[in-house]
Amino acid sequence: MAEEQKEELLEEDAQKGKFMTFQTGKEFFGISISYVNEIIAMQPITKIPEVEDYIKGLINLRGKIIPVIDVRVRFRMEPLEYTDRTCIIVINVKSTVIGLIVEKIAEVDTIQDDDIVPPPALGKKEKEQNKYVYGLARTGDTVKLLLDPERLIKEEDIQAIEEIQDEEE
Amino acid sequence: MAEEFNTDGMLDMFLFESSQLLEKLEGIILEKQDAECFDDSDINEIFRIMHTIKGSSGIMLFENITKVAHKLEDVFYYLRESRPENVPHLELVQKVLAVSDFINAELEKIRAGNKSDGDEKEIVADLDAFLKELKGEIKDQGIKLPRENKHEEPTQFYIAPVASPDSLFYRIVIHYRNDTQMSNIRAYSATYALKEIAEDLLYTPEDIISNEESSDVILSEGFYMLLQTKGSKEDILALIDSVEAEKIDIEEISAEQFGKGLAEINHEPIKPEEAAAPAAAEPAVQPVEVPQQDKSKPIVPGDYVVKSKETGKGKTLAKQQAAKQQSIISVNVEKMDALMDLIGELVISEAVVLQNPDLKVPGLELSNFQKASAQLAKITTELQETIMSMRMMPLTNVFQKMRRIVFDVSRKLGKEIELDVIGENTEVDKNIIEHISDPLMHLVRNSVDHGIEENADDRVAAGKPAKGTITLEAKNEGGKVYISVKDDGKGLDKEKLYAKAKEKGLLGTKEITDFTENEIFRFITLPGFSTKEAVTEYSGRGVGMDVVVKNIQGIGGRLEIASEKGEGSEMTLIIPLTLAIVNGIVVKVGSSSFVIATSSVKEFVRLSKDAIVTEPSGEEYIVLRGTYYPFIRLSRKYQIEDSHEDIEDGIIVILEHEGKQICILIDGLVQEQEIVVKPIPPYVKKVRGLSGCTQLGDGSIALILDIAGLIEDEERS
Repeated sequence: MAEEQKEELLEEDAQKGKFMTFQTGKEFFGISISYVNEIIAMQPITKIPEVEDYIKGLINLRGKIIPVIDVRVRFRMEPLEYTDRTCIIVINVKSTVIGLIVEKIAEVDTIQDDDIVPPPALGKKEKEQNKYVYGLARTGDTVKLLLDPERLIKEEDIQAIEEIQDEEE
Repeated sequence: MAEEFNTDGMLDMFLFESSQLLEKLEGIILEKQDAECFDDSDINEIFRIMHTIKGSSGIMLFENITKVAHKLEDVFYYLRESRPENVPHLELVQKVLAVSDFINAELEKIRAGNKSDGDEKEIVADLDAFLKELKGEIKDQGIKLPRENKHEEPTQFYIAPVASPDSLFYRIVIHYRNDTQMSNIRAYSATYALKEIAEDLLYTPEDIISNEESSDVILSEGFYMLLQTKGSKEDILALIDSVEAEKIDIEEISAEQFGKGLAEINHEPIKPEEAAAPAAAEPAVQPVEVPQQDKSKPIVPGDYVVKSKETGKGKTLAKQQAAKQQSIISVNVEKMDALMDLIGELVISEAVVLQNPDLKVPGLELSNFQKASAQLAKITTELQETIMSMRMMPLTNVFQKMRRIVFDVSRKLGKEIELDVIGENTEVDKNIIEHISDPLMHLVRNSVDHGIEENADDRVAAGKPAKGTITLEAKNEGGKVYISVKDDGKGLDKEKLYAKAKEKGLLGTKEITDFTENEIFRFITLPGFSTKEAVTEYSGRGVGMDVVVKNIQGIGGRLEIASEKGEGSEMTLIIPLTLAIVNGIVVKVGSSSFVIATSSVKEFVRLSKDAIVTEPSGEEYIVLRGTYYPFIRLSRKYQIEDSHEDIEDGIIVILEHEGKQICILIDGLVQEQEIVVKPIPPYVKKVRGLSGCTQLGDGSIALILDIAGLIEDEERS
């Protein structure tokens, strides 16, 4: 019993402070590794009509059909062409499985809590833009924007889903 | 107070068994609702059911259920023993239904995790009064009162030993199957049942009720009983619930052996010569001399008295049941669903293999592969059919509910109605059963309330029998299930329906002649439409038929209405046998693949340009053989690039849903295949006109077109 707990703790420790970092455009992002299921190569995507532009469509992950979103479009940045290096990070946020299309995976970084600073809040507009970023961290010579995946997939999306459900009712 | 015993397993078992028993009870009652009276086997069966519920609810410490069940058991005990004549049958039926409702409501509470707090006093008092009334009648006729059926608290009981020269002694050993749950409770119920014929009864382990671990002992060692009774081996066998028992050994033993008790006799085999010893030594075994009981002797409190001869009837019943026992195991629905999913995956993987692009290299010699793959395809299809059949359930239970509704509603409304049921054994996927119960209930209510004439005189005047008939029929045809509710009532009145719809402002300015008969009947399915002037308790609230239609559409079915004024109406639900796998046609639009359910495709045609009529608003129609169809270009609707704009290059598909047609333009046909329907992940908002997605043979994903949604969307715009 006690040992199990220990193991659990160890496992948690092993994940703690580890971030999967990826690059898109010039920016580096980080996402806590505990959310990451796997990283897969770019897949053929089936488009779904009439949805938000950042939802690129559906992919077939070994028989499981999951939606993929383009992180750049999500952040209202100019979309880039997909290349050989483009890949999909499959994340699991509260049992919603979603693929994030990112330009390039960088590495797994250890970032201490002390090194994370909240993004500077400069007026409302900035805040709006940064609502998926909960912290900034400097490692090496780059600054990484740390993403909060729960906010990334929830927030307005959940609102949208709820609205649709309301309509249906 | 219930906590000590309420392990979940026991509670589940109790709920499951009790619900099953109640269902059976209602079945018996409703079957005989219009009969003169219950026959012997029914009375016995109801008695047994109540007896079991009383026992198990007592063990689970749901006192209110115990009391009610006990009271009803009393009533039936009385019916069984004294066979009174002139029993008000209808009243009795209602009393039984009231009890069944009460217990059902309590079970529901318990299932929801609430306390079973229903007040039983009213029902008990009611039954008491009823029983008195019955007895009062008997008294007047000067018939001897039977002895009362004494209620025993379901705890360890003691049976006053009754010695009689013709008593026999038995050693009974029950071995339960290894996977039997709650064998201690089973054992207890066996002792409880035997009590009916027992003069003395000993058993080991003794603490079967209070000690849960005793069930393990019973499983490994068997359950030992010593019984003194007048009954025969067969009587004993009939009483013991043999559902889970693997082996029941009954051996006749001598009185001495009986006297030694279980401690010694437990594991020693009984010698035949001992067993043959006459019962002469019997008085020595009996600790107390008990005077022979006279039949007319008033009962002493504490005696459990059921004449052993009477158990004979129960015996035949129990035997028949034992013969009917099939080897059935209950499986968690989740496991079934998981298996279903896996087989779905298998069907997809099979398609991936058999349609693999690697096979399309020219010049490959594939004849062996083809043979092997044909075999594989055969097996997967069979596998799929088997799992489907495992999920199939007969409509019996649903139809039984309908009997109840017809019974209740027709009595309340004072209409004489007979319900004919045809094809209740038709089997439907479990998911679908859950969805059709409510719509069907509504249709039946409507038929009773609106369909059949208010007045029996009106019926006679129209040359129909005074008693109305509603026919509930289910049949399975061409991969679809037809469930129809037919009444021989007044039928739908076209003029009235039209006037009503017009008045409600549902029609605009269209004349009655603009509508076909069918379209007018369809008005009743419009939201907010109800022809009944007065709202009754049962129907006519204006919500209803539209909800019925919505629910049925939700499972891919439809409602058909047929009616002849003065002759009656017939509502037919047409639903697919199963939801998870459908036959679909894969089509291409640009680089996207879509799937159309084969059942909704009416035809494929190639047309020339002049078949298109364009309105100034840009809306397009297709003219085909003099009929105009709304025309949707999927490429425009869903902004698909690189698809054909010219209809001469593409194919027109005419789709039909509920009598409405629509045309879509596609680039080409890929193939027809079995499609495993998967939902679009909830993260993606719902798109009108799409009902799900599926994986194709090459691993790519196709979207499934929702024809009903497309038509609805088109009507809106």
